[in-house]
Amino acid sequence: MATVKINGKEITVEDGTLILEAAKGAGFDIPTMCYHARLSKLASCRVCLVEIVGQKKLQPSCVTPVMHGMEVLTESPVVKSARSSMIELLLANHPLDCPVCDKGGECELQDVTFKFGPRNSPFGERKRRFHEEDYILSPVIIQNINRCIQCKRCVRICDEVVGASVLGSIERGAKTGETSFVKEYLDCDHCGNCIEVCPVGSLMSRPYRYQSRPWDLKGVDTVCTYCGTGCQLTVQARNGEILRVISKPDKGINNETLCARGRFGYSFINSHERFVTPMIRKGGTLEPVPWNEALKAIKDGLTEAMKDGRKTGGIASGRLSNEELYLFQKLMRGVFKTNNIDSGSRWNTGAVKSFANVMELNKGGISVYDALNADTLFIIGSSISDENPITDYLIRRLSRNKKMNIIIASPRGLKLDSSATLSLRHRPAAEGDILGGIAKVIYDKNMDKLKDLTGKEHLKNISRENIPDLTWTDWSSIESVSGFMLSANSITIAVGNDVLRGPSRIESMHILAEALRLLGKDVKLFPVFDRANQRGAWEMGVHPDILPGYSFRDGDGLGSEGIIDAASRGEVGALYVVGEDIVSDFPDGGFVREALRQVKFLIVQDIFLTETAKMAHVVLPGASFVEKDGTFTNQEGRVQRLRKFIEPQGDAKADWEIIASIGEAVEPSFHYGSVSDIFKEIKGAVPMYRGIDFEGLDGNGAIVKGSGIGGQGAGVVAGFSLRPKSEVRSQEQETPDPEYPFILITGNHLYHSGRLSLKADTLRDILPEAVVEMNEEDAKAMGVSKGDKVKVKGDRYEATLTAHINKRSVRGVVFIPENFTDVPVNMFFTKGKGFPRVKVLPLSSLSPQGRGPG
Amino acid sequence: MNGNHYNLNLKDILKKVFFVDLIQGLFITFNYTFSKTITLRYPDEEKWIPYRRFRGLHTLNRNKEGKELCVGCELCQKSCPTQCITVVPMQDKTGKGIADRIAYRWEINLLRCMFCGLCEDACPTEALKLGREYELANTSMQRSLWTKEELLAAQEIPVEFDGGVIVRARLERDDKGLKVIPDMSVQKRWW
Repeated sequence: MATVKINGKEITVEDGTLILEAAKGAGFDIPTMCYHARLSKLASCRVCLVEIVGQKKLQPSCVTPVMHGMEVLTESPVVKSARSSMIELLLANHPLDCPVCDKGGECELQDVTFKFGPRNSPFGERKRRFHEEDYILSPVIIQNINRCIQCKRCVRICDEVVGASVLGSIERGAKTGETSFVKEYLDCDHCGNCIEVCPVGSLMSRPYRYQSRPWDLKGVDTVCTYCGTGCQLTVQARNGEILRVISKPDKGINNETLCARGRFGYSFINSHERFVTPMIRKGGTLEPVPWNEALKAIKDGLTEAMKDGRKTGGIASGRLSNEELYLFQKLMRGVFKTNNIDSGSRWNTGAVKSFANVMELNKGGISVYDALNADTLFIIGSSISDENPITDYLIRRLSRNKKMNIIIASPRGLKLDSSATLSLRHRPAAEGDILGGIAKVIYDKNMDKLKDLTGKEHLKNISRENIPDLTWTDWSSIESVSGFMLSANSITIAVGNDVLRGPSRIESMHILAEALRLLGKDVKLFPVFDRANQRGAWEMGVHPDILPGYSFRDGDGLGSEGIIDAASRGEVGALYVVGEDIVSDFPDGGFVREALRQVKFLIVQDIFLTETAKMAHVVLPGASFVEKDGTFTNQEGRVQRLRKFIEPQGDAKADWEIIASIGEAVEPSFHYGSVSDIFKEIKGAVPMYRGIDFEGLDGNGAIVKGSGIGGQGAGVVAGFSLRPKSEVRSQEQETPDPEYPFILITGNHLYHSGRLSLKADTLRDILPEAVVEMNEEDAKAMGVSKGDKVKVKGDRYEATLTAHINKRSVRGVVFIPENFTDVPVNMFFTKGKGFPRVKVLPLSSLSPQGRGPG
Repeated sequence: MNGNHYNLNLKDILKKVFFVDLIQGLFITFNYTFSKTITLRYPDEEKWIPYRRFRGLHTLNRNKEGKELCVGCELCQKSCPTQCITVVPMQDKTGKGIADRIAYRWEINLLRCMFCGLCEDACPTEALKLGREYELANTSMQRSLWTKEELLAAQEIPVEFDGGVIVRARLERDDKGLKVIPDMSVQKRWW
């Protein structure tokens, strides 16, 4: 601890605290330009100079740590005049075009000048001018270098946090400018974080260009609904028209960062493609009707469809709020008396159950900052850089100044590989075997200590000999991963939801965690989800075998796969689908289409007329995320508030209102008046949520607590079978087919999430059409380079796509994002067969241009 | 004292008998019949053109090349104490304005405006001026909402014109209401 005197005020702070932070804590305002709390320190602007008594020269307070007994003056005449001169120098070349600058009104340079700066300038020279017309750097970023003050915040955030490293400085001295290397589109993340940190109007958002002034905008702090990271964002609108999304440095786990989807994926809200009235199928077409008619049709249709003991089912999206999901499962279980419910249709229901179990989700949430405070971080089963960009940014930022071994296992090359100590490339769906292999090595090395390891008999199937066949990874890499884990004291294992796409022996995860714990390591399990409220969906019990609050049981309920199976046999009378496009999601596009035709009465609730909605008998218009209240539980288990900002468009209603009114139509006692009523009921039903105050949820949310005794949590349920019920492991037995040499995998693209983001025109501008990503060597062997058109052909479907090259992906795997409606990737899949095999045929004659290096 | 005492002399009696005071008064009135008229015959024949400093209807101006000076910075909107101005900016690359930012909408609600001129002071490009048009009464509230296109139109009284004079005018009626049209060629000073 150090005691310092700042402007005569004595304060005691931690050793190593910067003078700037100490002064801020003592209530003194020191202006800064280049300083940014979460970036490396540069001290180039010299605006934060302070006087240290006894030192002749002024010192930049943003890099000078305090020393015991130091006496600092922040408001002495010398400091004031130096500060004012520094601002004068910044303004010497800064054009005073504030009236046309988008930053005007929220510009840090403006604020600092008004507060501390000189009110005149003796400089008569012409100001430096790089260009007359602003550079368009990307579909979302536009740059005016004339306004740049060389604080290099954009360069630092791009380098240190985003990891794209596309910005840099050119020239020297007064001519320095922050720029990209070429004056054209950047090959960047389009995340716009450089816009967020730019203190002046040098980097600006293109969709927001000249739309408004910051003082005209009204905003609401809400939570992003695109992925499981759960970023806080502020949606801002002028007169009800949403103009931009910003992130606030002091809000949420993401602070100032957002990804392309979060920052620019809002325009679907005002999309003209939305349907805003309920519709009923009359004579083959969907016709708009008023709500009461739609509800009556639902009531009649349900009674009709459920005759002869037909089944009922419900599939809800992991993008609905906790309240909606709770109400949904209550409606299905309580009113329709069925356990046939599921969230999402992409995954194996059995795998979900084992996943929720082995990841110890019922132990309560874990903050991502705690999870990343580990010696070793092992990421598996997630294309984390693409699916959860902000988690990727957080890992990159936090690992920069810390000794943390990051190990990544993934079939695809990820951007985070550059920060990783070790990257494994494995065959798709081999996550369980990798984890088993690691557990095996650890077990073999510590056999005496791990005598009591539960499930060690499962490890017998794994050996040095079969690992390369099972995982395409050699034994030595598995050994080195084990080495990192054994040498660490705290280990975080982040497991993504790719392991749910097929049953992939995720139970090995439990054996590995147990083994490490028996060796006295601190093991944290961190789930990574691509749907914003996937965790909430399971916590609310939207799963046939999970009741609210993770009460696992082996029931007779069907998951989405079971429901669709039953539907294909004509056994399903009524199916209620909320926010999920199962026709485009279920891994067998042809099969699910046929199956849904057999459903007697299909109700679809969504905000766009999806492929599923087009087949429905009744479609109901739901509300987008800014049009309703609620809570979301992100992958950490952090409950955050979703806040209503604008009224739903047209006749659309918040989804919980629709679910409640359907319930009320069938069962009059099923009545809910507000979201907080529902949340109150959730608190009663789900013990993990008991401590959460709905009204009191602020920017950082609240992390759910374990439901077990003494705060220890329940962990893996004793006696619970570690094996999923249905085991589909066709791939490893299958001999490679020389005609179809590639395994096709899918997932979210960096710029898209689900199919919702396709309706956001800014994101569609960034990536308008489906791509196929393949390994560089594979591409070279076929003579394909980036941008070429290729035909991907499976045994049931073929599509023409643009090739993207990923240098670090594993050979023999191609990746097609699941987000595009023009190439429904699920058409390649065959139900129950895992990842499909495809061949790639170059169509180089189609694109004579675009040939060249890279 | 009982009643009033009047001190009547012969002179007063004669004055009353021959209506001298009345005739004196009528004589003054009669004299004015032949003197120069000072009544402003507004709106039928004449109209007062104010000085440049007058604060009347807002005008949006162009520069010498005819480009819109307004850059849609919204400072007038921000400075307006009655919040009667609405500005929505937009990007324009056709060279309409002096920058690539112009006003998409510039509207003023004159029912709320108090002609304080703060908007004029705030304007960084001198695009906005309070002009000399003061005949703003009308029968429809909607017509008090002036838009950018109307305010950008050429002014009836040129900016170069000094003002402070009375010009000949004529009153015209049409379906929209009354209009006083000045004829700048015939001017006179009020005093």
